[in-house]
Amino acid sequence: MAMGDIAFLLLIFFVILARVQDDSHIIWEPAKLHNLEQSKNAKASVAIDADNKLYLNGKPIGVTNLAGEISEILGEAPAGKRTVFLKVHKHATATYFEPVIEAISEAGGDLMHVLEDARMK
Amino acid sequence: MKIRRRNKLLVESPASATSDIAFILIIFFLVCASVQPEDGQKQSLPKSEDQPDKKQQSENPEVAISRTSIILNGNPLKPQQFRTEIKKVLAQKKREVDKVVVVKSKPDTPYEIWIETAGYIKEAGGIITLQLEEQQTEMVN
Repeated sequence: MAMGDIAFLLLIFFVILARVQDDSHIIWEPAKLHNLEQSKNAKASVAIDADNKLYLNGKPIGVTNLAGEISEILGEAPAGKRTVFLKVHKHATATYFEPVIEAISEAGGDLMHVLEDARMK
Repeated sequence: MKIRRRNKLLVESPASATSDIAFILIIFFLVCASVQPEDGQKQSLPKSEDQPDKKQQSENPEVAISRTSIILNGNPLKPQQFRTEIKKVLAQKKREVDKVVVVKSKPDTPYEIWIETAGYIKEAGGIITLQLEEQQTEMVN
């Protein structure tokens, strides 16, 4: 009986660890800004890393496919439930992030830039 | 003679429950860590499919951002000056449609400068719309 309990708890442990939007392997530094808001839930997470590579929910993707993929993820979700996190390395240039912002807009996502509070050191 | 036995019973606390408690605590802290909210700034974007009226667009403030400067309606400004000026410009706009700020960025504009400028525009009540450089394909025979 105890072995069954342990197996069940281990299963829950790894299910929680295996997040759908795992982008912990992406190397990036957030830009800093004051007066930030908080948001917990996002349908999708887009990241541009220090090498200007683009990721959607932790998986590499090309910018031409981005709008389509985000549309598919967002589906028929109502307004207010279509948040898309955008994590851009602070030194990435407009050549890379502006098309991404356009793609998110085209897909109808509610864009949220993920930043670091400028007050924190 | 009655011999009294001293029955000493060694009562140990059940150790098997300790591992269960440890697992539950681990899961509790994992769940707490996984729902940590992200800090950031929301940005509302006008849909790119809307065709902006050219006449209307000329009445909207225009901001050009580069690595070294921020230009508001043709006037180069320092960041803190821009922060003050954009507030003044947008304070004069009464309609929401007039508060749309057209942002054009040079290709080498770093994100940290762009987001700082966008933050000032949002603080002033502006709505950002991006003006991207057009890409033209020319066929060479």
